[in-house]
Amino acid sequence: MTTVPDVYSIKTTPKETLVDWFRLLTIGRAIDDKAPNYLKQAIGWSYHAPSAGHDAIQLAIGQIFEKEVDHLFPYYRDLMTVLSAGLTAEEIILNGISKATDIASGGRHMSNHFAKIEWNIHNVSSLTGNHTLHAVGAARGIKYYGKKAVSISSQGESSVSEGYVYEAINGASNEKLPVIFVLQDNGYGISVPKADQTANRKVANNFTGFKNLRIIHCNGKDVFESMNAMTEAKKHVIEAGEPVIVQANCIRMRSHSNSDRHELYRSEAERNYVLEYDPIAKFERMLKRYKRLTEEEIDQLKEEAKNTIKQAHKAALKAPDPDPESYKDFVLPEPYLPVKYTDGTHTDEGEKKKLITALNETLKAEFRHNPDTFIWGQDMANKDKGGIFNVSKGLQQEFGEERVFNAPIAEDYIVGTANGMSRFDDKIRIVVEGAEFADYFWPAMEQYVECSHDYWRTNGKFTPNVTIRLASGGYIGGGMYHSQTIEGSLTSIPGVRIVYPSFADDAAGLLRTSIRSKGVTMFMEPKALYNDPKAATVIPDDFEVPFGKARTRREGKDLFIITYGNTTHMCLEAADMLSKDGVECEVLDLRSLIPLDKEAILEGVKKIGKVLIVHEDKVHSGFGAELSAMIMEEAFEDLDGPVHRVGSTFTPVGFNRIFEKRILPNAEKICDSAKEILVY
Amino acid sequence: MAKTAIIYSFNSNKTAKAGEKISKFYGEDKLEVVNAEDITEEQFLSYDQLILGVPTWFDGELPNYWDEFVPALEDIGMKGKKVAIYGLADQLGYPENFADGIGIMANLLKSRGAEIIGYTANDKYTFEASAALDGDRFVGLVLDQENQARLSNKRIENWVNDLKKHFK
Repeated sequence: MTTVPDVYSIKTTPKETLVDWFRLLTIGRAIDDKAPNYLKQAIGWSYHAPSAGHDAIQLAIGQIFEKEVDHLFPYYRDLMTVLSAGLTAEEIILNGISKATDIASGGRHMSNHFAKIEWNIHNVSSLTGNHTLHAVGAARGIKYYGKKAVSISSQGESSVSEGYVYEAINGASNEKLPVIFVLQDNGYGISVPKADQTANRKVANNFTGFKNLRIIHCNGKDVFESMNAMTEAKKHVIEAGEPVIVQANCIRMRSHSNSDRHELYRSEAERNYVLEYDPIAKFERMLKRYKRLTEEEIDQLKEEAKNTIKQAHKAALKAPDPDPESYKDFVLPEPYLPVKYTDGTHTDEGEKKKLITALNETLKAEFRHNPDTFIWGQDMANKDKGGIFNVSKGLQQEFGEERVFNAPIAEDYIVGTANGMSRFDDKIRIVVEGAEFADYFWPAMEQYVECSHDYWRTNGKFTPNVTIRLASGGYIGGGMYHSQTIEGSLTSIPGVRIVYPSFADDAAGLLRTSIRSKGVTMFMEPKALYNDPKAATVIPDDFEVPFGKARTRREGKDLFIITYGNTTHMCLEAADMLSKDGVECEVLDLRSLIPLDKEAILEGVKKIGKVLIVHEDKVHSGFGAELSAMIMEEAFEDLDGPVHRVGSTFTPVGFNRIFEKRILPNAEKICDSAKEILVY
Repeated sequence: MAKTAIIYSFNSNKTAKAGEKISKFYGEDKLEVVNAEDITEEQFLSYDQLILGVPTWFDGELPNYWDEFVPALEDIGMKGKKVAIYGLADQLGYPENFADGIGIMANLLKSRGAEIIGYTANDKYTFEASAALDGDRFVGLVLDQENQARLSNKRIENWVNDLKKHFK
C-alpha cells in the first residue's frame, strides 16, 4: 500500500491509456520471453536478465519519463522500462543481438543494456548501480540550469549494498537534487537473498534518517500502484526540490539471467508462488473484471503484439553486424587542437611563475573563457582555502559556489557525478580534484574505469568531458597514501588521456588543452614541484600544449633519457653531473603518456642509440616497461645497448625520509644507471 | 437469521486449511464457504456476517485475489455488516510486515462502514511491526503455521468462540 494519491485506478483511467499500457506490457513480455531463444539458436542475446515480474513498475518508470527532458538510467533488467519510454521492439532486439545498428552501442556493450542517448536514456555499465552516481550528476545539471525535469536511477534492491549507492543518495539528499531512485526489489541479488544484503527487508528504510529525502513504497507488481507511486515521486521531486526513493516490491519470475538456474536455490513452492502474482496476468484480470476491456479486445491486442514482434524480429535479423575493424574507433574523442602553439613550445621571456600559480591562473582563465565550466573536490573551497594545496585558491570567490564547491570525502562520488553531469549537456566542462592525494584515488577507480569506456561503449555517442586533477608523487616525506604516484596502474586502461607536466608552462598549457577537449584527461600534478623554483617558467597568457607532444629539455648525443614529472628535473641534474665527465645526455620530457609521442622517442633512439628511461613510479610494471618494450620492438636495430630503467623500488614509499630517499629515484641513481649503459 | 459466509481462496493451501477448521468449529451448517478467487460485489454484499481469510503476501501485501477486489470494495457500503478476518503470516521471515494483510483489509472495510470483530491479543508473537495491530491487539486472528503451528488449533478455537458471541 502507498500513501500517495490515487491518480490512476482501474475504474477511472481512460480506456485508451489502459489499451496503451496493455499493448506495451504484452509486447514487452513477449520480447522478454523470446530473448532466450536467440541464445538457443546461437543468434545472440547471451546476456538476458528477464524483466518478467517487474513489468508494472517498469511500465510506470517509462510512462513518467519525458524524453529529451528527463534523464533515465535504466539497468540491465529494464527491458519493459525502455519499451514504455518509447524504444521500439526492433531497437530492443537490435541491442539483444548486438547488431551494428543497435542504438545503444552498436554491438559493443552487453545485450540487455538498452539506451537511446538522443532521448537522455543513458547507456550504463554492468557494474550494478554505479549509474546511481551518474543520475545524481545529471540532476546537478538539471538543477544548475533550472530545468523542470527529473533524473531517474533505476536499479535492483541489491545494488544498494554497493557503497557508491549510499554516496549517491547521500549526495542527492545533501545537495537537494531532482533524482528518483527506483529500487526494484525482487528479493534477490542473483542468488543472494535480501537477508544476506542488509537487515531491513525494505532496503529503502535504511535511508529514513536522511534529510531532504522522501521514501515511497509501492507494489511494483501492480500497474496502478506503480503509476501512482512514480507520478507522485516525479511531482514531489519537482515541487519540493528534493530526491525520492521509490521502493517497488517486485517478483523475479525467472532466473536472474540466462547464466543462472534459480531452481538451484529457490524451492518449487516459491517459484510457483511468484508466478501466481504475474503482474500482467493480474492487470488483464482486472481489465476484464472491471469491464474496461473485453475478451475480444484483449485478444486483438495480443495478436497485434505478436505481429509487432514478428516484424521487429525479421527486420533485426537483416541488420548488419559490426565491422570488426571498427574496434579502434571511439577510444578517445578528438582533442582540442592548439592553434598558436602547435608543438606546445614558446620563446617568451619575462617573469617566471611557479607551477602552482600556473595551474591557478589557468583555471581562472578557463572559467572566465567558458561559463559552463565547473570544479569540485575535497577541500576545494572554504574561505581562503582553495584545494588541499591551494591550487584552486580564489576560484569560489570569483566564480561562485555553484561552479566551485566542496565535495564530500567520497572520491567515487566526485568522479561519478562528474561523469553524470557531463551527460546533461555536451557543452559542460568539468574539472575535479579526484582525491586529496593521488594514492587516495583508489575508491574512485570504478568510476575512472567507467569513464574510460563510455565513449567506446556508446559507439561515440557520449563521452564525459572531465579533467581529473591529482596531486601526485613523493619527495615530501608523506609516506603511504601521500607519496605514491599511480600512473603505472592507470596507463593500462584505454580511453583516458594521461598527462604529467614537470614545468609550469607545460602545466598551464596542458591544463588548458585538457579543459577545452572532449573526453577524460587524467592530469597528474607533481606536487613536490608546486612551489619549487626549478619548475617555474615564463608562461604566455594563452599558452596551450597539444596532447602527445614530448619536449626536449636538453640536447645531447651520448645518452637518450626519457622521463616525465618529478624526475625530469633529476634527469637534468644528472645530465649536468655527467656533462662534467664529458657525457652529453639528451633529456626528453614526455609530458603526455597517453597519447604518447612515439615519433619523438624513436627519433631520439635512432639518433643516440643508448636509452635510459626514468620515472618516479615503480620500475616493476611501471610505464617505463611499456616504453622499453615498444623501443625493443620498433627500434631494436637502432640500439647500442640494453634499455635501462630507473624508478622506485617494488615497495610502498616509506614515511621516514631515510626510506623515501632509498626508495624513490634521484639524480645519483640516474647517474649510476647511465654509467652502466654508457660502457656498452 | 443473519447470513454468514467464510471467504478464502480455494487455491490456497494453509489459508484454506485454516478456513476449513474455522468452519468446523463454527458449525459448517451455519455458514457458506465462498471462493475468494471469483467473489463478486453482489455476492460479497449478500452476507451480513463475513469471515475473511486474508494472508499476507511478500513484504506486507494483500494476495492478488483480494488486491484485485479492492477497487470494488472501495466503492461499496458495509454499514451494518460484521467482519472477522484471519490470516496466515510468518513472524520470523517477515517480522517487519507481520500479518499486514489483515490490517490492510480491516482498515479498508472499516472505512466502508463495517464493524470489525474478532480482535485477538498480541500474545506469544515476536515481530517488529504489523499493520494488523490496533493498539496492543490484532484486528483479527493471526496464525503462524511456519513458526507456531502447534498453537494454531487452540487459537482458532478461542477465536471462533469469540466470534459466536458477536455473530447472530
